[in-house]
Amino acid sequence: MYLPEHYEFFCPVKINSGHKALEQIPFELDALNVRKPFVISRKDDSERGLVDVIIDAFKDSGIAIGIFDGVPADPDLKLIRELFNIYRDRGYDAVIAVGGGPVADTAKVLNIAVSGKPNNIEGCAGENLIKRPLKPLIIVPTLSGTGYEMSRNAFFDGRDYASHFLMPNLAVIDPRMTIPEDAVTTASTTLAALAHAVEAYTGSSKNPLADAYAYTAIQLIMEHLVNVIGDQQDRNGRLSLANAHAMAGCAFSNVASGIAHELGKIVGDVCHVPSGLCMGMLLPHILEKHMSESDYHISDLLLPLAGFDVYASMAENQRARRAVDILYDLLKDLAAVSGGAVSRIWKDAQVSEDTLQDVAQRAVGNGAISDMDCCVKILREAREGK
Amino acid sequence: MENFREVAAGKKSLKRDYVAIMMWFMGRAIQAAAAVDRAVKKEFVDMPDGFTFALCVMPNGPHMIVGKDQRGLVRYRGWDPEGKTINLQMKIKNIEAAMLIFTFQESTALATARERLIVDGEVAHACAIVRILDIVEVYLLPKIIAKLAVKRYPAWSYARKYLGRVLIYFRTIFGF
Amino acid sequence: MDMPGYYEFCCRVKIISGHDALEKIPDTLAQLNAGRPMIVTDKGVVGAGLIDIVVDAISNGVNIRAIADDVPPDSDLRIVHSLARLYREKDCDSLIAIGGGSVMDTAKGINIIVSEKADNLMLFSGANALKRALRPMIAIPTTAGTGSEVTLVAVIKDHEKHLKMAFVSNFLLPDASIVDSRMTLTLPPAITAATGMDALSHAVEAYTCLAKNPLSDAHALAAIRLISDNLLKVTVNPGDKKGRLGMASAATLAGIAFGNSMVGMVHTLGHSVGSVCGVPHGACMAILLPYGLEYNMHKNGHLTAELLLPMAGAEVYVATPKEKRAQKVIDLIRRMNQELYEATGGRHARFFGESLDRNGKEMVPKEKLPDIAETALRDGSIFYNPEDLDYNDFLMVLEAAWEGKPRNACLTGKG
Repeated sequence: MYLPEHYEFFCPVKINSGHKALEQIPFELDALNVRKPFVISRKDDSERGLVDVIIDAFKDSGIAIGIFDGVPADPDLKLIRELFNIYRDRGYDAVIAVGGGPVADTAKVLNIAVSGKPNNIEGCAGENLIKRPLKPLIIVPTLSGTGYEMSRNAFFDGRDYASHFLMPNLAVIDPRMTIPEDAVTTASTTLAALAHAVEAYTGSSKNPLADAYAYTAIQLIMEHLVNVIGDQQDRNGRLSLANAHAMAGCAFSNVASGIAHELGKIVGDVCHVPSGLCMGMLLPHILEKHMSESDYHISDLLLPLAGFDVYASMAENQRARRAVDILYDLLKDLAAVSGGAVSRIWKDAQVSEDTLQDVAQRAVGNGAISDMDCCVKILREAREGK
Repeated sequence: MENFREVAAGKKSLKRDYVAIMMWFMGRAIQAAAAVDRAVKKEFVDMPDGFTFALCVMPNGPHMIVGKDQRGLVRYRGWDPEGKTINLQMKIKNIEAAMLIFTFQESTALATARERLIVDGEVAHACAIVRILDIVEVYLLPKIIAKLAVKRYPAWSYARKYLGRVLIYFRTIFGF
Repeated sequence: MDMPGYYEFCCRVKIISGHDALEKIPDTLAQLNAGRPMIVTDKGVVGAGLIDIVVDAISNGVNIRAIADDVPPDSDLRIVHSLARLYREKDCDSLIAIGGGSVMDTAKGINIIVSEKADNLMLFSGANALKRALRPMIAIPTTAGTGSEVTLVAVIKDHEKHLKMAFVSNFLLPDASIVDSRMTLTLPPAITAATGMDALSHAVEAYTCLAKNPLSDAHALAAIRLISDNLLKVTVNPGDKKGRLGMASAATLAGIAFGNSMVGMVHTLGHSVGSVCGVPHGACMAILLPYGLEYNMHKNGHLTAELLLPMAGAEVYVATPKEKRAQKVIDLIRRMNQELYEATGGRHARFFGESLDRNGKEMVPKEKLPDIAETALRDGSIFYNPEDLDYNDFLMVLEAAWEGKPRNACLTGKG
């Protein structure tokens, strides 16, 4: 088993998952010495009844909650100012973020403001510029998140913020919140999580602790993603996927960012395709290109992808190939079970040869990839659809 | 402010009432079992006189308080913890968790494994209380439900089970 | 994989692992705004030269204000108080705990007192009594291991009042744990074997008992794989640095697994044997582990079977029919005990009848078994065991573990 000569790992996120998980929040708040939490969410989640579920969960707790449900899809620092004023004036002492990406990012940046830096939030943008623990933060994810909510990153108003202190104290995964999303959203967010987990598990900064999170995430995704897209009512499947997202976010925060992640983001940007789908599409091609390199650890990937029996029966020198093939098959299965919706998006984007060159240039330019030709080849193959 | 409101914590009166009634019954049944069942008697004999334990729901009840008085008699001491010295507290974290336990969707063992409750006090006594609760549940509940509530359904003689059940129900309802 | 109806998982400790991980301590403390640590350790660790190694590695970057080496093998309330006084006298601002379980617990106890400025540690006993972060604490385990560097529990004994106080709180978790191969390089073979089997029992029980969850399972599987690959190697060849790092990582992974999923009857009985007869914890775990798995077989045999892959590898796993895998795992654990017995010249006991103290005297007389069974009734880890055990069940398992004969699984009273 691969053990690096040196590694560091830190994951301060507690995960509570399952039946009646929300009702345990008041107890957790007490353990964090919180008296007055501030719940933030998006309007559409509020309209889908998710905030009402939270209100119900707080009954009998004796704790009053503040609720702001107007977080837009593209929040800015003006919103942070507004939320900061509410938080300060009402004497709140923790933030509970309900929902996916934009809400979690807002919550993390708000947390920077309320923990002592309301006037220079932008000064904390960048890598590791936050030097002290922030106030308590709880995230209640939905399936529209990728697990990025649990990570050490936030992307807000054009800036990247990265620090372990941004990670929430607690992630509460409750089946009442992981309501069904459409096929493309579920596929996109989960493929992003899969790419993160696989790159953590196979990359050169792999370590046994991040592996535990990545391994579990990959297993859960392989067991449930196709089923959930085929059957929206699969409550247990949706809960499992939300778990996988959170775990992938934790693993991702403890390894170096991988090629699928970086390239997927750029392709998504340039081609206006959900970046998770791009990451998922690119992943097997990238792994295939690196299969024989010693600092990629692909053969063990077969274990979480296919389970004990398949892994054990396969000869060691065949495992990496089988793992990559399983990932190609997954994309085919997703295309089939979504009635073509998933693959159509990529095809409709009509990614031209010029676009490929443009993307490759940007990827090399920001240091994500060093080999331009290799990059173009990967993109071309992915576009052709193997 | 648009999009902002504050919501005070509501109540779950029906659930509280249900749990309170179940706890009242359970407390009196423990008192009865301590008089009727040899195994329960033995567990209490090993506890010091005056020992009192409480099962409660956070943050504000309902509560069930049972204790040994100075003569060694086991008594159900009501639902109000005010003014009582409690040696062992088993706290259920919230009313929903209490519902899961008192509707037998989660046995004591499963509820513990699922972090639904915390124990404050000597663990040795907590072990004894759980054994007592298991025995009382076997008396009070039909086998099909008791099997959900306890880890291992015991093989008792007919006399112990059925005679004991009648005596305990009788004593529980009439309070002695 | 079964998603549990509900579970919780947390490990907030920063893990720094490597052949020169100690050198990261000054930076780690600086990030926590500290730089005047008190080292808490015991005479055994000092004698092994480990304190010198640590001091060499860190004294350029921090101001070590005190080194307290009088922690006894069993955590003691009086020592906790006297070391807390030393901490204050020397104006320390953080703690570095270097040692095994008792040192870790003592340091956690000291941290409660100095952070809360408390006179009476009792006030903070129980679950969730602490409400805010304590002073920075770095844990450096010197066995592989108890895993107490990643658990949120501390047990402190009050020998005067014959009380055992348990403290449970997320705030007791050390800020960082340093997993450095140098810290276990000189661990003698018998202790290597015992602490290694302790780690194995943590991982196996976390995987097979009632509070299991997918994340702790992943940690447990990795731990079992590392232990199977490395334990015998480092017992036979103590200077194997890679092997030592593997075992140290395994102990951390196993600690995280059981810290979140608890343990079962192997620990219930093991604690009791330890408390009545003084047998070291790891030695008890090694002997009892196969018996615990046998007893529970009708409830969790399918889970035990899965452990064959990390324990024995793909070939053995595939060659063993599904219904025989659980028994194979149990046999392999017995074989491990046998190999460790041979590798330690007989010092690693395979059954309680051959547990001897330093003077060659029997540690577990057969007449003590009823006492031990009685004591086991008072241990809380039994809550998490898949099957119930009463006094007679405990006695039955103990008798088999005393003689060293595999138990007939049919004799288990099934629930």
